[in-house]
Amino acid sequence: MTMSFAGKTAVVGIGATEFSKDSGRSTLRLAIECCDAAIRDAGLSPDQIDGMVSFTVDVNDEIDVARNLGIKELRHFSRIHHSGGAACGTIHQAAMAVHSGACNYALVYRAFNERSETRFGAGVTGGSGGASPVMVEFGWSLPFGMLTPASWVAMFATRYMHQYGVTSEDFGRISVADRKHAATNPKAFFYQRPITLEEHQASRWVVKPLHLLDCCQESDGGRRWS
Amino acid sequence: MSDPEKNADAGAFLDSLREGVGITSAIRITPDDVNQPMIRHWCDAMTDHNPVYTQPEIAAKSVHGGIVAPPSMLDSWFMIGLAPRPEQLSDEGKAVGMLPIITKLDTAGFTSVVATNSTHEYDRYLKLGDRLQFHQSITNVSAEKKTALGVGHFFTTRTEFMDQDGESVGRMDFTILKFKPGTGSIPMTADAGAAFAPKQRPRPEISRDTRFFWDGIDLGELRIQKCDDCDSLYHPPMVRCPKCGAYDLGYVVSKGRGKVYSFVEVHHPQFPIFDYPLLAVLVELDEGTRILSNLLGVSADEVEIGMPVELAIRATDPELNLPLFIRARPARRETTLLFEDVSAGAILAPCPVSITPTLIVGGAVASRDFQDVHHDVELAKKRGSPNIFMNIMTSGGLTSRYVSDWAGPDALLRNMKIRLGAPNYPGDTMTFSGLVNSAELREGKGIIEVGIRGSNRFGDHVSGTLELELPRRQEN
Repeated sequence: MTMSFAGKTAVVGIGATEFSKDSGRSTLRLAIECCDAAIRDAGLSPDQIDGMVSFTVDVNDEIDVARNLGIKELRHFSRIHHSGGAACGTIHQAAMAVHSGACNYALVYRAFNERSETRFGAGVTGGSGGASPVMVEFGWSLPFGMLTPASWVAMFATRYMHQYGVTSEDFGRISVADRKHAATNPKAFFYQRPITLEEHQASRWVVKPLHLLDCCQESDGGRRWS
Repeated sequence: MSDPEKNADAGAFLDSLREGVGITSAIRITPDDVNQPMIRHWCDAMTDHNPVYTQPEIAAKSVHGGIVAPPSMLDSWFMIGLAPRPEQLSDEGKAVGMLPIITKLDTAGFTSVVATNSTHEYDRYLKLGDRLQFHQSITNVSAEKKTALGVGHFFTTRTEFMDQDGESVGRMDFTILKFKPGTGSIPMTADAGAAFAPKQRPRPEISRDTRFFWDGIDLGELRIQKCDDCDSLYHPPMVRCPKCGAYDLGYVVSKGRGKVYSFVEVHHPQFPIFDYPLLAVLVELDEGTRILSNLLGVSADEVEIGMPVELAIRATDPELNLPLFIRARPARRETTLLFEDVSAGAILAPCPVSITPTLIVGGAVASRDFQDVHHDVELAKKRGSPNIFMNIMTSGGLTSRYVSDWAGPDALLRNMKIRLGAPNYPGDTMTFSGLVNSAELREGKGIIEVGIRGSNRFGDHVSGTLELELPRRQEN
């Protein structure tokens, strides 16, 4: 059975930058400008936006877009594969999200310097390429040896422990519970190998204050839910 | 040659080195009066802000009654300078006062030199217009020693300083090691270069929106993005002000001071481009924004949330400058500690020193020490050093600054005995720590002895003791 949601949701605002052969601005700036224009066109304020849809190939990270626009609570974000060929897919996705109640206002965006930075052939002819916003973000952590998720999370953990009086043992109880459940799964790497809090506390540091047993193992494998 | 013959040879050489021991030189006069410009250069190089050295109004009200020279400058007053002028040359074409032992050691292949110990005793602080005279003698020459720096001989000179009236003002025992380059182990030899081989950290990807930040770092300033319309500050940079919607974003230059907001100690996985355990910090700048960085010269068990830190922009390799942080330098005490308020066992707050090329070269020039190893990288390498390194007078100047900043402007330094170990090369961070060894009344004077050490990545660069007289509490 299919459920029609035609006519149940609406496009309430449109925004675009000018189109040129050399924008002179970063892709992120273009993304922010068109989103900003669309939100204003709709008569909304950024903190009313709670959904986002783009293409998988778009390099403008939802976090960057939200941060620059002043979006507070994002309840839905999703990405559609392909690019221009699946343009309708993004609108379709946003309409479904709004219709289902996952969010109230979804921002659909796509921005890039296709001509001046990522023109076809740039990859083989050594074109400028431009800076990817995601890599620009990494530029604030990688040069300082913050290269892994454990290191990024640990920075939050230290502050969290300081602010709320949480201890490493408190974190350990989560790992103990995770491993208790993994121990019952015949396909799990740690099948029948639960851990104790003592083992958690005794495990070596990965990024202090996180122990080895705070971190997930890097495993090869596949899984689907149905 | 048989062993006895070798020994006899070595014995004869040592005898020739010791020929001058105990003979006091003629009295010579220092080139310049004690003067404000040289004092100012010194204080600038050492970042010694004690007002008794440079601010006449404050100095007039101090225990000194007027401007005085930093006592640790003592030997800089008699340094010849960049090159001896014609009137400073002897008939043999050598600088007047050049010790024959140096020529003998140079000829025998002990061409490298490093100062190892300096003991200053101060009878009084020098005032503007004083003109020092001095005489010198060699008090000791060691047999050949195998040291970490190389095979060589130590020798010690004693210099007595008098003022224009012939009154004694201070003396110095100064020990140097003359050694054969390439005969030692780390950290002085070129092998130590491995420890300083640039470690190419990952490059930050830079966009049009973040270029201003990295351009600033290359110029030595930490720029924080500022909205031109509503003055909000952001880091990392935005393309649009989320508060007011403006796209016109400028920046302010941070004062570079802040506090540790959070920190981690990275242990695993390890990459050869970093030193582990690696201390990463999230610094909350005084301006309010936060920045991720590394904390240098601080061990993981010393760091804590709220710890004051300051910016130290460093070239981690020749093509990459990064905004890194060091422990904040403690504030200079403006009201001098009273003797009654200090007791043995008291700890001095640690103080970091960024070992920059500017500090090394600036300190050497301010102390009129033009040895090439303190300013010329290529020549330093030819002499077996991986880089230029700090001269002992700068080490002494920084040591006395550390203690006088802790004690206050009216503390009187009576003596300073320092010993050098691991060299200070550019890019390192030296951290001073100190302890009050003793506090006792001597003839009604409140005398304390402070033990200090300044440690860098190789170990102790400088260690020693300083004796100070502190003002006493006035009883009503």
